[in-house]
Amino acid sequence: MRKILLLLSLTILMGCYQEDIIEQFPDADIPQSLQIKELIGIKLESTIVTDRVSMNVKLPLDGKYRVKIRHGINNELISQEMITASEGDNLLKVYVASLDKSGYMIQLTDEFHNILGNQSFVVN
Amino acid sequence: MKKILLLLVSVLFTLNTFGQTESSIDYSPVNTVTQIGDTLIMKFQYFKNDGADLTLGQVDFEYNNKLLAYISHESQAPSGANFSRNNWGGYKFNPKADTSEDDMDVQYIWWKDEAAANSYSTSADWSVERITVQSAGALGADQEFVKYSFRVKDKFNSGYSNYNDVIKVNWANYQQSNGTQIQTNRSKDGQDLSGIEGGNAGSFTINLKTANTDNYTDYSYTILDAAGSSVTTGTFDESGQGIIAEGVLSNNVTYTAQANLTEAATYLDEVVTVSDLALVFAEAIGAGSGPSGGSTTFDYFIQDIMGDVVGDSNGVDFQDSYEILAYLQGVDSSNTNLITQAGQTEDYSGIESTYGALVSDVVTFAKSFTPIDSDASSKTIDLAHGLRGDVNFSHSWTPTIESGGKSLMARQSSARYSKTQSEDANIDLISEINDEGQVVFSINSDVEGMVGSQFNIVYDPNILSLENVIFDTGNTMTNFSNIVESGIVRVGSFNQELSSTVKEGTPYQLIFTPLETIENTSGLISFRVKEGVKADGTKINFIIQ
Repeated sequence: MRKILLLLSLTILMGCYQEDIIEQFPDADIPQSLQIKELIGIKLESTIVTDRVSMNVKLPLDGKYRVKIRHGINNELISQEMITASEGDNLLKVYVASLDKSGYMIQLTDEFHNILGNQSFVVN
Repeated sequence: MKKILLLLVSVLFTLNTFGQTESSIDYSPVNTVTQIGDTLIMKFQYFKNDGADLTLGQVDFEYNNKLLAYISHESQAPSGANFSRNNWGGYKFNPKADTSEDDMDVQYIWWKDEAAANSYSTSADWSVERITVQSAGALGADQEFVKYSFRVKDKFNSGYSNYNDVIKVNWANYQQSNGTQIQTNRSKDGQDLSGIEGGNAGSFTINLKTANTDNYTDYSYTILDAAGSSVTTGTFDESGQGIIAEGVLSNNVTYTAQANLTEAATYLDEVVTVSDLALVFAEAIGAGSGPSGGSTTFDYFIQDIMGDVVGDSNGVDFQDSYEILAYLQGVDSSNTNLITQAGQTEDYSGIESTYGALVSDVVTFAKSFTPIDSDASSKTIDLAHGLRGDVNFSHSWTPTIESGGKSLMARQSSARYSKTQSEDANIDLISEINDEGQVVFSINSDVEGMVGSQFNIVYDPNILSLENVIFDTGNTMTNFSNIVESGIVRVGSFNQELSSTVKEGTPYQLIFTPLETIENTSGLISFRVKEGVKADGTKINFIIQ
């Protein structure tokens, strides 16, 4: 019984230790402002954008995904691209010079429009 | 006998007592005033009933100095009589409590003997005038004492809502030569003025009526007077209201209002589209009406104006439809047209309730309005606005049936609104980088029955160069693609016979070459106009998931 309890305690401790490792040693190639803790997501380097901004798209699997830009008020889709990207972090860009100055939502979906993440941004 | 005599004496005494109250002070206008600024002339007059000889007449009255401005006075005393006028601004008479305010000699005694300092109180709105006429001989019946001239002031912001009781006589001191007080009444409680026109109309509101509700601030208004001169201009706020400040407009004056859309608006090339083209073509053909083409496909009279983009005032014909087609194709027709487009607007506006109404076979845009002080609703107008070429009212106000709808008999279709209604359909617009490093923008559609479609695509011309547009719309469609301006390309198709339809699949592909190294295309290509049209003119709004 003691051995079982000891093993269980070790397992719990190891689980906590693993998380600490992830927190303390993030991917050195990804700037801190673009790091995504979760397994899946989308993140812009800055919320207020004037010309272009770096973007991290973190994916669960290799494959095709959609990056959509929707209007910040009526949710109307105004721009959409299809990317073929790899599992994990993918550093890309969002170009806003030809977009009207307004508020927007950038959205990551799979090929079949299932939402995987989103973030609001402003073109200034 | 003694009793009879006593009764007779009592009756005579009673009659004599009541007989002493029969004189009065009469005051009334000499002229009729109707406008702010008019001069009101008031006369103050002795009215004699009982034959008492009046040698001293003294009248005290007050006027509302917020509504009347003293100009002058003129004595009407007879030759040889003395006349005096006194005045005090900022005072108002306090009548004796529990007595008739019309009893002038009682109020006089109140002032003279009883009230002491309580007879008048300060009041900025009132001024007190007192005239005295004294004559050696008895004044005749109906003898005028004085005439006063006042200028009628605007009651706007005066704190008064009307011109009631602008002048009130406070008391009168009528005496015989022996000093006997003559009992006196006044002829009225106070002098009212009615029907006064003009004056500050106060704040005035214009509600803009347009379908272009996201861009109210791009519109301006102009108010003109009867001579056509500009009275004021302004812009509408984000709610579509234009507020004209107090003091600009006057009551009972007729103005005209017009609205204009700025020619600097960035979306003017989205106003006239393939949907408008389809409506104009159908009208030009006289679709379904037989060889005579005698009926109309339009629901509203105003569409005859909006569709007449050539401006020949000859209704809608093939000249108009080809002009719009040439415009969408980016072809120079060498004609001057009135199509709303980048840098060019042709505005129509009018009071919404009659906007586009047919009067004596002419489509009208009535613009006149008249603020009236007593009618609060006259201080607001709804101003409808439309644009030439916008036959389907995408950016223009749709008239009401009552004002501008064509009769069922006149129209080819029995389904009212069919030509200006729309429906939704899903399509997929997407960009990606192909194996050659080119950016491919694909328009994928499974929509059936479209005789026309149009897409205004916006791209970043500093990063992308448009190389090619690949059409796969079917063999019978007239396709077009043209760069409206740097970074905006218009792509679409139209079948002039309204019979063939855009092929399903990927009818359009735009190929761009990147001008710099890019890894992806997010934000580089966006879409504005994205619509289709069916043969019956129904607009299809494309929905992208």
